[in-house]
Amino acid sequence: MKIGKVAMDPATATASKSKLINEKGLFWRLTDRTSESRGKVLIYSSAILMIVAVTAITLFLTIQGLRSFVVDHLNFWTFITGTQWYPDRAQNPSFGAFPFIFGSMAVTFLAALIATPIAIGTAIFMAELAKKWGTKVMQPIIEILVGIPSVVYGLIGLSLIVPFMRVHFGGSGFNLLAGAIVVGIMILPTVASIAADSIRAVPDSLRQASYAIGATKWQTIWRVVIPAAGSSLVTAIVLGMSRAFGEALAVQMVIGNVVTLPKSIFDPSATLTTIITLSMGHTTTGSILNDALWSLGFILLLISYVFIVIIRFLSRRRNA
Amino acid sequence: MIQMEKNIVSFSNNTVTKDLPVQINAEDVNIYYGDNHAVKHVNLPIHEKSITALIGPSGCGKSTFIRTINRMNDLIPAARCEGTISYKDVNILNPKVDVVQLRKEIGMVFQQPNPFPKSISENIQLPLRFAGVRNKKTLKEVTEDCLQQVGLWDEVKDRLDRSATSLSGGQQQRLCIARALALKPDVILLDEPTSALDPVSSAKIEELLLQLKNDYTIVIVTHNMQQAARIADYTAFFYQGELIEFGKTRTLFTNPEKKSTSDYISGRFG
Repeated sequence: MKIGKVAMDPATATASKSKLINEKGLFWRLTDRTSESRGKVLIYSSAILMIVAVTAITLFLTIQGLRSFVVDHLNFWTFITGTQWYPDRAQNPSFGAFPFIFGSMAVTFLAALIATPIAIGTAIFMAELAKKWGTKVMQPIIEILVGIPSVVYGLIGLSLIVPFMRVHFGGSGFNLLAGAIVVGIMILPTVASIAADSIRAVPDSLRQASYAIGATKWQTIWRVVIPAAGSSLVTAIVLGMSRAFGEALAVQMVIGNVVTLPKSIFDPSATLTTIITLSMGHTTTGSILNDALWSLGFILLLISYVFIVIIRFLSRRRNA
Repeated sequence: MIQMEKNIVSFSNNTVTKDLPVQINAEDVNIYYGDNHAVKHVNLPIHEKSITALIGPSGCGKSTFIRTINRMNDLIPAARCEGTISYKDVNILNPKVDVVQLRKEIGMVFQQPNPFPKSISENIQLPLRFAGVRNKKTLKEVTEDCLQQVGLWDEVKDRLDRSATSLSGGQQQRLCIARALALKPDVILLDEPTSALDPVSSAKIEELLLQLKNDYTIVIVTHNMQQAARIADYTAFFYQGELIEFGKTRTLFTNPEKKSTSDYISGRFG
């Protein structure tokens, strides 16, 4: 067959066209086993479902969260800065959410402060010092710790930390610090495991370079490996913080749940999440208190997004 | 043989006429990786203030050997060494040797340029800080001095605070050499320092090594026989873990004693 003539011959042209060009309809493309479209549709729809879910949650929470300001005419500024939370008062009820915002922040940062040194230390131990033991023994232990339900951490806090606080620092023992310690212990395995991964990701060539210029093991870890892992380590901490920020149950069990602003870390307190879980059941849909709790949820979501933005920013800087 | 000399080599740089004293002497060195006998009964003198090249096909043990001289093989748990490598009346392979001090006196440069992801000046200053130097003036002086020695000063003096990873591959490798010079070592070991570089950068490094040999003892592992011929005063040919032949570079290339040496340098295998 002469190749040059193929295109000229109308019969051959149609024959080759029918094989090469798929003129079958949409129905065929979705039902035929050999069609690529099925897989495509499956994957695309899962991705779209995911995006729809996130958008829907955000939208729903935004609409519900703004109700208290739009429908109930609460002032946004006094809502987030006010310190008086008396929603049930018949005369002049007040909605000041600052104690909860402050409580959430305080628990988060204190928890990070408690967890970070221990977690990074564990990560260094696992990834640099006892590599075999670290991967064979420590890693599974840490995975178990990650999987323990938060209510268990709460129970341990309730039976160990709260009595300890009561004996040594007075008061009821339910306080901000107890909440931070419980959450700190809770996020510790998460931070440690991500930190260990980021330390393992530091190329060996840097360690070799360091040893070759007469560095000790400690100098290599401290001055070369940790700085090189730098922003990934911060990402690990921020991830832990975002988990601490969203934790409700374990905190609620030990923090004391009072609506006033704590004066010290040994005062009982409350967080955005604990006040929502405690109060939501007692409200009716459409009441001002119900709307105000939605607003707390909305603030919670916004701050969680800030954490995500920080993580994205850090990982982009790392890749650059 | 005459034709081969014309083809590969110009020996213009190999200036050693009489042997300088031996600085490092390997006697009956055996290195094992687990059950694998990687280096077998090697006896090799390394003369001071000259360049010794280790050549041979991949897997012949030359890199393993050079990494034993500053005990970098200690980092590989399965590696084990026997024999004697004497340096300053001490056997380097003695377990009691302070490897941190040893590596300060015997520096190393690797195949892939591996600057720290820090600024250019910090890269040079880190070895000094590790050694306990705090004086800012000293740190600055050494930085300039080392960068001058590797011919990088004029290229980077305006951006010493920029990240070392922003440099080109050849510049990074010269920076790594400068970093190795910071502690004024006696010996510099280079493990295929130009194999990841382009020809122009490689030529710069070769030129640099020829300058550095006035002050330092240099041991270089290379895949590139022409490179060995161009810069080395002494060449050692390794094959299958054994040191087949060692001698003055010119002698080894023009008049090798062993058949496998001549086969390798004439490109019959490798």
